[in-house]
Amino acid sequence: MSAATAQGEPLLRYREAFDGRDLSNDAASEQRRAAFEHFLKLGFPAPREEAWKYTSLRRLESRKFAPSPRGLLPDAGALSSTLAGPRIVLVNGEPRSELSCAPDETEGLRVSSLEESLAGGGSAAALLRVPVGGGTERFAALNAAMCPDALLIEVERDARPTQVLHLLLMSCGDTPLMSHPRIVLRAAAGSEARIVLHHVGAGEPEHFVNAFVDVEVGPDAQLHVYRMLEGGTKTFHIERIEATVAQRGRFVLHDAQLGASLARLDVTARLAAPDAAAELTGLFLADGTRHLDTQLRVDHLATGTRSLQDYRGIAAGRGRAVFNGKAVVHQDAQQSVSRQVSRNLLLSSGAEIDTKPELEIYADDVQCSHGATTGQLDPAALFYLRSRGLDESEARNALTRAFTGAVVSRMDHEPFARLVHDQLDSRLLRLLDHVP
Amino acid sequence: MLSIRDLHAQIGDRKILKGLDLEVAAGEVHAIMGPNGSGKSTLASVLAGREGYEVTRGSVSYLGEDLLAMEPEERARAGVFLAFQYPVEIPGVNNAYLLKAALNAVRKQRGEPELDAFEFLELVRGKMKLMQMDESFLNRGVNEGFSGGEKKRNEILQMAVLEPKLALLDETDSGLDIDALRVVAKGVNSLRSPERAIVLVTHYQRLLDYIEPDRVHVLSDGRIRKSGDKGLALELERRGYDWIRQEAEVA
Repeated sequence: MSAATAQGEPLLRYREAFDGRDLSNDAASEQRRAAFEHFLKLGFPAPREEAWKYTSLRRLESRKFAPSPRGLLPDAGALSSTLAGPRIVLVNGEPRSELSCAPDETEGLRVSSLEESLAGGGSAAALLRVPVGGGTERFAALNAAMCPDALLIEVERDARPTQVLHLLLMSCGDTPLMSHPRIVLRAAAGSEARIVLHHVGAGEPEHFVNAFVDVEVGPDAQLHVYRMLEGGTKTFHIERIEATVAQRGRFVLHDAQLGASLARLDVTARLAAPDAAAELTGLFLADGTRHLDTQLRVDHLATGTRSLQDYRGIAAGRGRAVFNGKAVVHQDAQQSVSRQVSRNLLLSSGAEIDTKPELEIYADDVQCSHGATTGQLDPAALFYLRSRGLDESEARNALTRAFTGAVVSRMDHEPFARLVHDQLDSRLLRLLDHVP
Repeated sequence: MLSIRDLHAQIGDRKILKGLDLEVAAGEVHAIMGPNGSGKSTLASVLAGREGYEVTRGSVSYLGEDLLAMEPEERARAGVFLAFQYPVEIPGVNNAYLLKAALNAVRKQRGEPELDAFEFLELVRGKMKLMQMDESFLNRGVNEGFSGGEKKRNEILQMAVLEPKLALLDETDSGLDIDALRVVAKGVNSLRSPERAIVLVTHYQRLLDYIEPDRVHVLSDGRIRKSGDKGLALELERRGYDWIRQEAEVA
């Protein structure tokens, strides 16, 4: 009995979708088939699977999504981005040059498609690699099998592009569609670049976005990724960011989760060589009936590696959020420093946040700390502000903004920070006006 | 301006104010003194509208309005200001933001236009000078990392900026050294005016050396037991509070 029949109907639908692909001219067809078999073998999460303890995919599993046709055009309005500078637009995972504005190549940023990279001697195995482990391995495999293309962004050796590249990942479609955006980021030795990863979801009907972001930060290189999830009130959004950082390299993720109906983000950072660093910070706002699940894992594999995980979470209405930050300090990772902070704010009695910082240490000379808090707005601070004439919603808004302020102020790309700030502000204002 | 009649208030089942009467007219400075646990801070909290206090009897009228029916922010906008005994630290909300939001809320209520950034800064700078505060305080979180004295000065700064009609100072002198006490007193005295009433709640007579009250009241076991002029404060300093209690028992 095959896995597909064992898990029944849902996997058969994906089988159908995969078999519907024309792989006859696909240079990576072998990798795609292998990846798909891998997905079938892993299937959807079984009940009580630890990595999916607080997030059920039953709803996602029960839906039927067709692979997105090529060439769909989103609303012009949805395309008007507030961020200036070079941008690349992906519609349902497909890079669209006619909607994009390529970066200046003289700055050392090279952008290519899967086909172009394969033609230029790139390895299909590398470009379509599937990470091992974690609750989203299955979806990364599905992505490798189904992605219409892959967007490869290379920062050349010692290049320091001044412009920030804006990747706008949009979904659209009048029928339920699935899309599998795949982004490959390579920062070569000594380079430093900043990239915005901006997901803008569609409204009705339900869609399924399954993104994979493959990151390699070379020796002495720095890569800053500014990620934002917005819109997509009916969207299932699953994303895996898999980063490997070389000696003295630094990977920085600034994350703002403000959208989707059900979202799961897994970030894995492997600090593979001495003095590599990863900083994973961000915020999430689970309002309405939104369900946001964030799973971070940093592996300290070499001496002197450093990591920071700092997330601020807010849940309101009947929103639900899950945060699991894990740092593993392996035996060879002496003199490593790891810090984890998870602070959470519940704005209503129907909201829920489950947070779990985890630390596994196999080396003896390390500095590690972790802390998690979940609470409500401080009544003494609320009273203080009201006693100065601020009305209740204004006072709540000020305190809530102060709560996320620490991570927003760390977002050192000003237009992005402003975008996050403004969106957060208007959402909180709406939210707090309805607090009883 | 402020008329308190037969005020009874409790926290949970614990009765704290037991029939308090007080009349404060515009232009006057009143000092309310009393031993620990007499209900001084409860009175200040009830007047400012802090949650957790239940008023079971009596009334508080402020400029002819029922003060107890107003939300804390409505009281503030109507000109009531409480300088807290323990000002709260609010990291992430900066002082300038709070001052500006508070001032504009009060001005809006008074039918005055909002101040622009320039006018606001000019006003605040002048008041900060009076309170001997460095301008860098403006960009710090509200009371964040402030010393005890800085917190109290910050309270008086807010008061000076907001120009309330009725200022309540809850143990503003506690924890202040003599220099800080002088600065705070200077700030309070600068606000004395025929339109404004000031109520000082304090345990010690010391503050009254610098801010001279028109009336002194002794609060003990939830009621005003004795009232007089500033001579009463000096007598309390000399004799302590026990004789007031004894007098009350005899009565």
